[in-house]
Amino acid sequence: MTGNRLRAEGLVLTYEDRTVVDGLDLEIPDGQVTVVIGPNACGKSTLLRALGRLLKPRRGAVLLDGTELSRIPTRRVAQKIGLLPQTPVPPEGITVSELVTRGRQPHHRWWQQWTEADEKAVGEAMDRTATADLAERLIDELSGGQRQRAWIAMALAQDTDLLLLDEPTTYLDIAHQVEVLDLVRQLNRERGRTVVAVLHDLNQAARYADHLIAMKAGRIVAQGAPSDIITADLVHEVFGLTSVVVPDPVTGGPLVVPGAPWQCG
Amino acid sequence: MTIRPSGFSVLRAGRGSFLLHRRAALVATVLGAALAVTAVVYLCVGESFVSPTEVVRVLAGRPSPDEFVVGTLRMPRLVVGLLAGAAFGLAGAFIQTVARNPLASPDVIGVTHGAGAATVAAMTFGVTAHTALPYVAILGGTAAAALVYVFAWRRGLHATRFVLIGIGISVALGSLTQLFVTKGDYLVAQQAKVWLTGSLNGRGYDHAVPLAVISLVLMPALFWAARAQRTVSFDDDTATALGVRLGRVRLCLIVLGVVLASVATGATGPVDFVALLAPQIARRLTRTAQIPLVGSALTGALIMAVADLLARKLFSPIELPVGVFTAAVGAPYLMWLIVRTRSRSGGAA
Repeated sequence: MTGNRLRAEGLVLTYEDRTVVDGLDLEIPDGQVTVVIGPNACGKSTLLRALGRLLKPRRGAVLLDGTELSRIPTRRVAQKIGLLPQTPVPPEGITVSELVTRGRQPHHRWWQQWTEADEKAVGEAMDRTATADLAERLIDELSGGQRQRAWIAMALAQDTDLLLLDEPTTYLDIAHQVEVLDLVRQLNRERGRTVVAVLHDLNQAARYADHLIAMKAGRIVAQGAPSDIITADLVHEVFGLTSVVVPDPVTGGPLVVPGAPWQCG
Repeated sequence: MTIRPSGFSVLRAGRGSFLLHRRAALVATVLGAALAVTAVVYLCVGESFVSPTEVVRVLAGRPSPDEFVVGTLRMPRLVVGLLAGAAFGLAGAFIQTVARNPLASPDVIGVTHGAGAATVAAMTFGVTAHTALPYVAILGGTAAAALVYVFAWRRGLHATRFVLIGIGISVALGSLTQLFVTKGDYLVAQQAKVWLTGSLNGRGYDHAVPLAVISLVLMPALFWAARAQRTVSFDDDTATALGVRLGRVRLCLIVLGVVLASVATGATGPVDFVALLAPQIARRLTRTAQIPLVGSALTGALIMAVADLLARKLFSPIELPVGVFTAAVGAPYLMWLIVRTRSRSGGAA
């Protein structure tokens, strides 16, 4: 067993009586950006929820530093794993700066609501996400891109070594998508933070992932470096899509170009 | 540049640091002042007018010719009203926070109707001692809320299910109350009707005792609740990700709300709409991201004092039950709230 901090063993995940993930083993490589891809309803978001203890496994376990996640007090988990759900709902009438401050929740004590560490973490999170100018604005009145940056700032203020992001680029236009993913990458490179993100866009996944996990119907089809595993065959197996894989003109990595439209299913 | 959440000041004491919402603090101060003025006016006005100077003399404990009217007749009633109003306001704040719905109140989760059914049943079976009835109401309210909680619990507490089951059980208990009213004799029925409207008529210090005791006991819990409240206003996933034990926090907040609402109902009967109105008014004043607790308590007390002042004076010498006035103000507000919520969320409230 290697020393990776976050692992899953024999994971069985169900909603009510529907089994979504059945007997999955997984290691999240430390200090890397791991991206999970797969078609709709393949269980990728469900897997992320389990890694972030939002969903309790029916069988098997998620292990953090060798301890079963469900045995660690949730507040302790929150000091180590940050998680941003796909569609978080803010408290009504909250300002950006207050939202980011809530990311400090797991570090607070009732008599310590604003320490130097809080000030530093919140300030840095807002700088990095360029939300400092929005500090006094209400979340409700922001554009989709600004709002997403505020949420990411909150997750960053939590100051955890592991960060789980569920489709962080949904609702964003292409420029903001790239901005968010660059930010994620930068956090990983400069801070050595381990990131796990669920992404929809295969090419963004290929570009930003160190470690790619391709899922279909609740199991892992392939995992590894994008350049090692992305092939036309894999794309067909996972998404049922005919495509050509060419070198990305910018990075040299794999770039998936869908086949002619009349051939798509 | 120092960074802090906008609108907040940081208070430091040794290693401790506290965030204070400036506007909420200001609102609390203003409400406190308004409450003091209202209390003095309340004590002046009645069947006979007592000058404010005399009222202040009585309050300061100095001898005064009006000591009986102010200190013995009006003061206990005011104290019960203020305490019950504050308790209703807080109960509403907790219940609305957990239900994430501005329309939620102790009515909705069975407390009011549970207390009502238990009290009217006790009256029918011959319990009329007004020292016993508050405790009967507290028992009935808590039991009904527990019943709602048990039925609504299914692998966690879902806000919508909680509210719907609460409404169902309330309706059932309402029918039960009607049954007792119909079965009981004429005098009991009349007494029950007055109680069910919510009234401060004839309330004395013995009604204030359970209220005061419970308020004191719960004081420390309010510090905890003020912080816990901030985290449950997120969606479930985000709150859990922030390390909140959501199920436990919600249960504790509901228990606080139920106890406060039951005790207040025990003292005054179900005074409509105070628990619904106070938190929403307070929040509009403070503009905080969650319902302010101090503000809700003060607003609740203020509503109660003003409503009872009107109830006593407006149709003098007839003293109306205070519940009539809170309902007269509350019902239109509720309708406005429903219309507004619908137009904002396209009908899916």
